[in-house]
Amino acid sequence: MQPVPALALRGVSKSFGMTLALSDMTLELFPSEVHAVVGEHGAGKSTMIKIMTGIHQPDAGRVEIAGEAVGLHGTKAARLRGVAAIYQEPMVFPDLDVTENIFISATDAGLLLDRRRQRSRAGALIARLGMTLDVDREARGLTLAEQQAVEIARALSQDVRVLIMDEPTASLSAHEAAELRRIARELAASGVAVVYISHRLEEVFEVAHRVTVIRDGRHISTRPVAEVTPQGMIAEMVGRAVGNAAARVPSAAGPEVALSVRGLTRAGVFEDISFDLHRGEILAMAGLIGARRTDVGLALFGIAPATGGSIVCRGAPVRIAAPAEAIGLGIAYVSEDRRKLGLALPLPIRSNITLATLRDYLSPLGLIDRGRERATAMAYRERLAIRAPDVEMAVGVLSGGNQQKVMLAKWLALKPDLLIVDEPTRGIDIGAKAEVHALIRAFVRDGGTALVISSDLPEVLALGDRVLVMREGRQMGIIAAAEATQEGIMALATGQRAAA
Amino acid sequence: MMRLSAASLRVLALVAVIVLLLGFFASQIEGYLNARLFARISGSVAIMALIATAQTLVILTRNIDLSIGSVLGFTAFAAGALVTAAPGIPPPLLVLACLAIGAGFGAVNGLLVAYARIPSIIVTLATMAIFRSALVEFSDGRSITSDALPAWLTGFPNWPLFTLWGLEFRAAFVAAIAVVVVVHLALTRLRPMRQFYAVGSNPEAAEMAGINAARVVFAAFVLSGLLAGLAGLLFLARFGNITVVAGLGFELKSVAAAVVGGVNIFGGSGSVIGATLGAVLVDLIDTSLVRWQVVSEFWREAVLGALILLAVTIDTLFARRLIAWRAARAHRARERLLAAGAGP
Repeated sequence: MQPVPALALRGVSKSFGMTLALSDMTLELFPSEVHAVVGEHGAGKSTMIKIMTGIHQPDAGRVEIAGEAVGLHGTKAARLRGVAAIYQEPMVFPDLDVTENIFISATDAGLLLDRRRQRSRAGALIARLGMTLDVDREARGLTLAEQQAVEIARALSQDVRVLIMDEPTASLSAHEAAELRRIARELAASGVAVVYISHRLEEVFEVAHRVTVIRDGRHISTRPVAEVTPQGMIAEMVGRAVGNAAARVPSAAGPEVALSVRGLTRAGVFEDISFDLHRGEILAMAGLIGARRTDVGLALFGIAPATGGSIVCRGAPVRIAAPAEAIGLGIAYVSEDRRKLGLALPLPIRSNITLATLRDYLSPLGLIDRGRERATAMAYRERLAIRAPDVEMAVGVLSGGNQQKVMLAKWLALKPDLLIVDEPTRGIDIGAKAEVHALIRAFVRDGGTALVISSDLPEVLALGDRVLVMREGRQMGIIAAAEATQEGIMALATGQRAAA
Repeated sequence: MMRLSAASLRVLALVAVIVLLLGFFASQIEGYLNARLFARISGSVAIMALIATAQTLVILTRNIDLSIGSVLGFTAFAAGALVTAAPGIPPPLLVLACLAIGAGFGAVNGLLVAYARIPSIIVTLATMAIFRSALVEFSDGRSITSDALPAWLTGFPNWPLFTLWGLEFRAAFVAAIAVVVVVHLALTRLRPMRQFYAVGSNPEAAEMAGINAARVVFAAFVLSGLLAGLAGLLFLARFGNITVVAGLGFELKSVAAAVVGGVNIFGGSGSVIGATLGAVLVDLIDTSLVRWQVVSEFWREAVLGALILLAVTIDTLFARRLIAWRAARAHRARERLLAAGAGP
C-alpha cells in the first residue's frame, strides 16, 4: 500500500444545530483498496460522505486529497478532484439517454458535444464494467443495477480516484449485488480508492480490504478485514455504553388474538411474514434499512396492499386494500415521515388532531363544530402533554417531539384497536422519547395492541414484548423480550445468524 | 424495424395533425388553401415560434415564464418609442436594444427564481403584472403608430425573400425559423445547453453531478427574455400600432404551443422544433376558426384550451403506457436471461 492516502479526513467535526454529527473523525483511504465503513443508523456515515463529496463543509479539521489539504465547496469541486459517489437510489436523468447521462458532468471537454465519440466511449465504459446496455436508450426504465452502472461509468469518465458507494446493494437482487461487488473489486485493482458503505456484514467480508467502524459520529476502529470477526464488529457498532435503556415494563398481553397474519407477501417487496398480535401486547419490528418493515406496516394499513397471504382480524378473515378499510377495522398507522405523510404543518394543532375523525364534529347542518373540535384538541393536549400554549398554533412551529405527539393524538382520536407506529421517536429528544414510550404503553394497558417499527435497538428492547426481526423482506425470527439482546437482534438483522 | 425515438414520433404526429386539419378546413371553407393563408399564418408564426421557443427553454428546466407577453409588449413599445425618437438608428443597434431589454427583464425573473428560490409561477405571475404596469407608466397612455416608424422596419415582415412551390417566404418568418434552428442546434449540440435537460429531468441529481442548477435556471430565464424581446421587435414591425395591451395573452399561447408541441410541463424533455410545430398548430386553428362559420368567434379561446387539455391528456396516457410497456419488456428480457442460466 502506498504511504500517501488518495483521500484523508483529519480530525473532521461537523454539527447541525445542536446535534454533533461527526466528531474528530479521521479516515485514510488508499489507492487500490476497498475500504468498508460500517455503523448503525445515525452513526454519521452520510455526513461523512457529504463532507467527502463537497456537499457539506467541515466545522473543524481538514480534508486531504493526495496529501494536500483542500476545501471542497460543492459536488463539482469534488468531482474535479476525482471524488465521486453513487447512492442506494441512483441519481440519473430519466429523460436523457445513457450516453448523455454518462457525460452530463464532463468538465474536461470542450463546448461542443461530439456525439459519436461520446457514444463509443460510453460503450467502452459500460463494457469495462462487464455490463451490456444500449447506450442510446433513455435512462427511464433502467433497472437500479443498470442505473448504478451508468453512475459508475459517469465517475469513470472523469478519471475518478475515490469512488464512494453508499449502500449500493440495498435494493439489488443477489445476482446484481454480486456483480456490483465484482465491479468494486476491479475498480480497486485498477487503482481507485473505493469506499464501500453497507449494512450487509457478509458483503463487507467479501468485498473489503479494510473495515472502519464508526459510532455516534466517532471513529471506533480501522482494521484489515482478516483481523475482524462479525461478532466483534457488531459489538463495536452497537457499543457497550448503550445498556442504559429505559427499564422494560412488560405489558399485560392477554390470550385474545387481535390480528393474525399468515404468509403475508407483497410481490417483490416482502414475503412470508407471519405473526399473531395479542390484545394488550406490543410487538416491535426490528431490522436495517431495506429490511422492508415499513412496507409490512403499509400493507396492513392498505396503502400498498399485500398480494398474498391472509389477515385475520378478531377471528374474521379480511382483505385490506385501502386505508379506509383498515380504519374501518380499527387499525391506525402513524407514519415515520411526519412532514410528508403525517401532519399538515401549516394547520393548527386542533385541525391536525381532528383530521382523521372530522366526521364526528359536524353539526346537524353539516358545518364543522369548532367548539367541540377545540375541546377534543385541548383534552389531547393535556393527556399527551403537548407543549403548546394554544391549540390554534400551527403544528409546523412545534418541536419534533410535540409534532410526534400531535400525530399520535390524531390517530388515538380514532380510538383504534391496533396502532401501527413507524419510528415513533425518530429525530426527537430524549425527554419526549420517554413520553412517547409511556403513551404507547398506556395505549396497550387500556386494551389496545401496538406494532412498533423501529431502527433504534434500545427502543425496540424497551418497548417490545416480542421482537420480530426482518432482513431484506424476510422474517428472520421472533424473539421474546426476555431473551432479546442488541447483539442477538443485529445478528439476525444482518444475516449473521439464522432464525432460532 | 426502424427505431424512432419518442421525440421524432411526436414531431411526425404533429405534422400529421397539421396536415389533417388543413384538409378538414379546406373541405369546410371555400378557397381556404391559398398563398394568402400561408402568408397570414407564416407572419404570425414568426412571432409565436419565438415565444414558444422562449417558453420551451424555461419549461425544460422545470419552470414556467408567465411574463413573456408583458416582456414582448414592453419591448415592442420601447423599440417603437426609440425608433420614433431616433429614426436614423441603425437596424442592428435596434435589434441589440430589444435583446438587451428582454434579457434585462429575463434576468429579473431569473434572479428571483434561481437565487431567491421563489417558485417561477409566483415570480412570473407577479412580474407579468409589474412589467405590464411598467409599460403603462412608460407609455404614459400614448400609442406607437405605424406612420411614425421607418419603412425598412414595417416593410421587413412582408419582404419576400424567396418563393417555393408558389408560396412566398418572407423575411420575418425566415428569420424566426433561423433563430429556432439555431436554438435547436445549441440545445442538442452544446454541452452547457444539455444541462437544461438535466436540471429539469432530475434537479437533485443535477446538483450531485456537479451542475450549477441555479446558473442554468438563471440562463434559461435570460434567454427566454432575450427571445421575447426579439419577438417584441417583430411584433412592432408586423402591427406597427402598439398600445399598452400589446402581447396580452401571449403567455397562454406560448405555454399552449410548447405543451402541444410535446414539451413536458414538468421539465426535462421536449424540443423547440416541437414547440414551433405546436405554435403552427395553435395559430392554424386560431386563424382558421375565424373563417369557419360553424364555430362562433367566442369559442376560439375554448378551442385553444381544449387543445391544450387534449394534447397533455394524450401525452400523459401515452407516456404512462410506454413506460409500463418498456418496464414489462425489460422484465421479460431479464427473466429469459435468468432462465437461460446466465444468473445464479
